[in-house]
Amino acid sequence: MFVLAGIIVLHISTIILLLVATIDNAWWVTETVSTDLWGTWRLKSSEWHYHNLETSPDEFLQSVQASAVLACIFSILGLFVFVAQLFTLPKGQRFMFTGILQLISCLCVMIAASVYTAELHTGASGGYGHSYILAWISFVLTFLLALTYLILRKKSE
Amino acid sequence: QPERLVLTSTLAQQCQAIVIYTGWERHALVGSDIRLSCSFFSWRWTSEDVTFSWTYRPDGSRDSISIFHYTGGEAYLDNKGPFKDRLEFVGNPGRRDGSILIKNLEFTDNGTFTCDAKNPPDIVGRPSSVRLLVFEKVPIQAGVITGAIIGVVLGLLVLIVVIYYLMRFLVARRVFSLNVRSVSGPAALCRWGFCQSRPEPIPGTDTCVAKLA
Repeated sequence: MFVLAGIIVLHISTIILLLVATIDNAWWVTETVSTDLWGTWRLKSSEWHYHNLETSPDEFLQSVQASAVLACIFSILGLFVFVAQLFTLPKGQRFMFTGILQLISCLCVMIAASVYTAELHTGASGGYGHSYILAWISFVLTFLLALTYLILRKKSE
Repeated sequence: QPERLVLTSTLAQQCQAIVIYTGWERHALVGSDIRLSCSFFSWRWTSEDVTFSWTYRPDGSRDSISIFHYTGGEAYLDNKGPFKDRLEFVGNPGRRDGSILIKNLEFTDNGTFTCDAKNPPDIVGRPSSVRLLVFEKVPIQAGVITGAIIGVVLGLLVLIVVIYYLMRFLVARRVFSLNVRSVSGPAALCRWGFCQSRPEPIPGTDTCVAKLA
C-alpha cells in the first residue's frame, strides 16, 4: 500500500520536474540573460524583458525542444498506463508497458540534455541554469522509476 | 448653399480613397522566379485609364528607380536598369491585378518594391511596399523540426500499439494459420503476451488436488 503510494508520488514529482525543465526558460544563464528552450529573458535597466530566440532556432535547439516535450509526454502517458495496468494486469505480472514508456521518457531526457550540452553555447561565458539541472535530475528519476516498473510485480494472493 | 456644396465634395473625397494591397515580405531562393502581387480596392468601377507602377529601392539605398509602368492598356518594362530582360507583366488590369514576375533572382535584388495604382478619378491613395529577401538556402522556420520530430515519434508509438493489439486479435481469432499442434509455435507468442494466461484444469482430478499441483 505504501509502496504503491510512494511510487505514484515519485512518478508525479518526476512529471512536475520534467514540465518545469521543459517550460521554464532557464537552461543557460548569465548575469543578464536567461535563455532556452523557447525564448530569452534579458535584464535591461533592472527589468526583465522577453525576446524571441535570436537566430531562427537552429536545428539542434529544435531537436532539444522536441526531445524535452516527448519526455514529458511519455512520462505522463506512463502514469496513466500504470493506473490502468493496476486494474487490468493479471496478478504476478510485471508492469512492462509502463516500464517501457518510462524508459523511453528517460532516453528522451538524456538525448535532450546531451545534445544541449554538446552543441549549444559551447565557448560562451555563463552557466547552466536550474532547468538544465532539473533535466538531469529527472533523467535519474525516470531511470529509477523505469527500473522499478520493470522489476516490480503485481501483488499475487 | 455654397456651404452645402463644400460639405458634399469633402465627403465624396473621403469615400474615394484607393487602397493598394501587396504582400509584406517575400522570401525566395537565388536563381528562382518570384511573383510580386499588387491589387487595389476602389469604390469606382475599374476605369480604362487604370495605371500601375512599380518602383524599386535596393537595401541600404535611399533612391528608388521606376521599373514598371502600365498605362493606356500597355505595359512598359524596365529595359535599362537592374531588371532588364528579367521582368514580365503577369497581372490582369481588368481584374485590378498589377502583378509582375521577376525571373532569375540575384542577391542584388534584395530591397523594397513599391506598387502604386491609380483608378481615375480615384487617385488618392497610399502606395504599398513589399520587401524581397533573397536567400541561398531557405531558412527553416521555428518549430518545424520540433513539430516533425514529435509527430513522427508519437505516430510510431500509436502505430506500434495498434499493430500489437491487432496481432493479439488476429492470433486469438486463429486468422493466422499457425501450426497449432506443435508446442513451440503458440508458446513463443504466449511469451510475448499474445495469449490469455489461463491454466487449463486437469480433467478428472479434484479441484483441490489441481490447486496443490
